[in-house]
Amino acid sequence: MRRGEKMRLLTIALVATLMVAPRLAAKDPEGIYKTVEAKHFTRVEGVELSPAFTDYLYAELRSELGKTKLFVQVVGEGEAVEDADTANSVVIEGVITEFTKGNRATDAILGGYGVGARSLKIDVNVTRRSDKQDLGAVKAHVRVSPRMNEEVMAKAAAHQIAHEIKKELKDKAKG
Amino acid sequence: MFSQRCALVSAGMLLGCALTPGAGRADEPKPTPENTIHIQLAAPVPPQKFVKAPKFFISEVIDRSGNPQPMLVLRERGGVFLDRQPTEIAREAIEQSLKSAGLLAADAASADLVLQVYVFHFGLAQGSGLDFFGKVEFSVMVKNVKTEESQQIQAAGTSIANAAMRKKNIQKNVQANIEGALEDAVKNLVRGTQLKEAVASLMKDSPSAPPAASNGDMAVVIGDRQGQWQQGGGKR
Repeated sequence: MRRGEKMRLLTIALVATLMVAPRLAAKDPEGIYKTVEAKHFTRVEGVELSPAFTDYLYAELRSELGKTKLFVQVVGEGEAVEDADTANSVVIEGVITEFTKGNRATDAILGGYGVGARSLKIDVNVTRRSDKQDLGAVKAHVRVSPRMNEEVMAKAAAHQIAHEIKKELKDKAKG
Repeated sequence: MFSQRCALVSAGMLLGCALTPGAGRADEPKPTPENTIHIQLAAPVPPQKFVKAPKFFISEVIDRSGNPQPMLVLRERGGVFLDRQPTEIAREAIEQSLKSAGLLAADAASADLVLQVYVFHFGLAQGSGLDFFGKVEFSVMVKNVKTEESQQIQAAGTSIANAAMRKKNIQKNVQANIEGALEDAVKNLVRGTQLKEAVASLMKDSPSAPPAASNGDMAVVIGDRQGQWQQGGGKR
């Protein structure tokens, strides 16, 4: 083999390694936990949101948790889990601590600065199923325009919560 | 003069629309073979394991949704209809799942527990508009035919599916979404801790009653009744 050909092969091998290696290294760990159970979030007194909102938030959160690929299975609230899997399963509980409806008029004038926006604050706790050990706490704060319906806010909140939980649990898994 | 004529013509048209009978119902969808979907479980949902497997029988499935058109699941774009009543679909799904594990009795007389299912929601619910939100909700009255004791349990299933632009895709996504929600609800029922606790409570006086299970954990029996214990959840 000539020297030029050798060099070309080496270059190709190097480029291929540079392209593939970071992807492999950056690939998210999949199925670290066997199951995850998201419970319906409760509300503190004074938070005026319909039960339909809580249902939708629950559904969106389950959908978003499935997308994280961190869990083999997303089980419904109150479903039994095999004994062997409980140590490797998590339960997600949350409380809606604050909700402000926002102001359409203010949003129309100063909406770009976040003034008059609808705001939702949620505190979420992640625990291990078997021994109820605390695996992390997440605080979500979502702001949307008051022109959008409440369900859009729930979707954004679910996405944020799932993302934060994934980050928290990945950090925990790394130790 | 011209603007006056325009105003008169517009007023006349508005009056005509208001007085025409059925004008407001012009886009009321009608079921056709093209806009009708068939909902069924892709595969039976395997129920949880009971210590002494009881035999269930579904006596009746009652619609409690209060929906005047339970078969119309989507009104927009010409509508999407179910080919059967939600009660019929729900009964089939639960029976199919119980039967797969040999937990379905042939009739009420041979059953240990009789189930009366109330369907509170079946189909789509209000979502963000960016996707389809499928929801199926049951309430089930579990009754021991021998002791006449009963207990009520809840089960719910949800599913989120992508919205679509084309009518064909809308129909496909709605179907997948409702099937997902139905499967989720049946799973929530047959694998739920509520059913486990209801079975344990209602069959405690039967000859070989199952022990009450702890929260969300499977019960395991070792030896005879004296040696029964529960594993998991830290409760032994």
